[in-house]
Amino acid sequence: MKNFKLKIVTPEKVLFEDEVLQASISTTMGQITVLPNHIPLVSQLAPGEVLVRFNGTDESLMAVSGGIVEILPDQMVILADTAERAEDIDEARAEEARKKAEEVLKTKTTDAEQFAMFTALMEKEMARLRVARKYKKRGVRTGRPTNQ
Amino acid sequence: MPQASRDIQRRIKSVKNTKKITKAMELVSAAKMRKAVSRVLSSRSYSDLVWDTVLHLVKKIDTNKHPFFIEPKKVKKVAVVLISTNRGLCGSFNATLVNKVIKSIEIHHPERVETSVITCGTKGRDEARRHNISLVADFHKEDITASSEDIRPISHMITKDFLAKKYDKVFVAYTDFMSSIKQVPHVKQLLPIVPEIDERLGHIKHGKDKVEKISVDSFAEFIFEPDTRQVLDAFLPRLVEVQIYQSVLESEASEHSARMFAMRNATDAAGDMIDDLTLAYNQARQAGITGEIAEIAAGSAALE
Repeated sequence: MKNFKLKIVTPEKVLFEDEVLQASISTTMGQITVLPNHIPLVSQLAPGEVLVRFNGTDESLMAVSGGIVEILPDQMVILADTAERAEDIDEARAEEARKKAEEVLKTKTTDAEQFAMFTALMEKEMARLRVARKYKKRGVRTGRPTNQ
Repeated sequence: MPQASRDIQRRIKSVKNTKKITKAMELVSAAKMRKAVSRVLSSRSYSDLVWDTVLHLVKKIDTNKHPFFIEPKKVKKVAVVLISTNRGLCGSFNATLVNKVIKSIEIHHPERVETSVITCGTKGRDEARRHNISLVADFHKEDITASSEDIRPISHMITKDFLAKKYDKVFVAYTDFMSSIKQVPHVKQLLPIVPEIDERLGHIKHGKDKVEKISVDSFAEFIFEPDTRQVLDAFLPRLVEVQIYQSVLESEASEHSARMFAMRNATDAAGDMIDDLTLAYNQARQAGITGEIAEIAAGSAALE
């Protein structure tokens, strides 16, 4: 099957750029899996994981914290606020960050805007943690660009 | 030793010390510049892609629906985000930037519009005050902007004020990093968004990775999830933020390279000065010796 181009970028760096077979992302409307020749789509990204398959066996797992995704038939661009590869996330530290976010959410929420901000932070940390655990458990068969 | 040559020797010493300092500053700036340049380059691809997406989107939506796209009928109030430096010793960097801002205000709005500036960097703030431009906010500028989150307060403020109709137009003034020897001050419109290909910001055509532009005209359908309005509401403030972030990074890279060159020039000038002074010192010393010999000769001649 034909592959499509996938780019995952954050303001700080280009995290991922390669030809892939399929990509699963979580949007605010739910999880979707994108295959080549997808109908043009622009969607809001929810904090969560991005699972990319290169072919039958190689895959790559990443955590993103929201942003925008633009899908065209032969390319897909993820404009993420922050993004990390699963193997780069330190599980212990992610857990710590999540706890901190949770604590802050409990104690320091004074107004709606702040609450929204901390909830977003919390969601982001949850997503990172989820990705880190999944990576450990499944031992994602890292694809070409990650294990070199 | 006569007084003249002693004075010269003292000056040589002080110039030598200055030269050491400027040399050290040059090296520090060079290191900072390298860092800043690599950051500019790595964030350019994001802002490029954001722009591409915007350009795709504007063909598929009615731009008059969203407040970020609506051109004001009459421009009365303008805000300029002025990105300057915290420290001096970088040549004419800040002066040219401020002059450019003033000039562009005059050119684009001769009918005296109310202009306010939002500064980022202390030098820009001082210059703005000197030119009697009203200052609405001054943001602290980090030496190295770590992430786009650092500039979120700025973008948050201007988008909020713009939507509240406090300003009719918002510009950003920064210094474009063309190369380590060329930096150009530039004033760019942030809001309302002009959906045109932006040739300047982060677009010093990095020839090699120029991607062929995809035309979206052929796609009859373009889905927005959850809906157009929500996507734009989430996306457009992000666009503003990215542009400011990119401008800050460009300015940072420019600042450090400007300072590096200013310091290199200072070091060279100090070297020239030392050469001149050494020559003058040797002449003075030789004149002293000649004078003493003449005195001795005259003295002995008088005795005979």
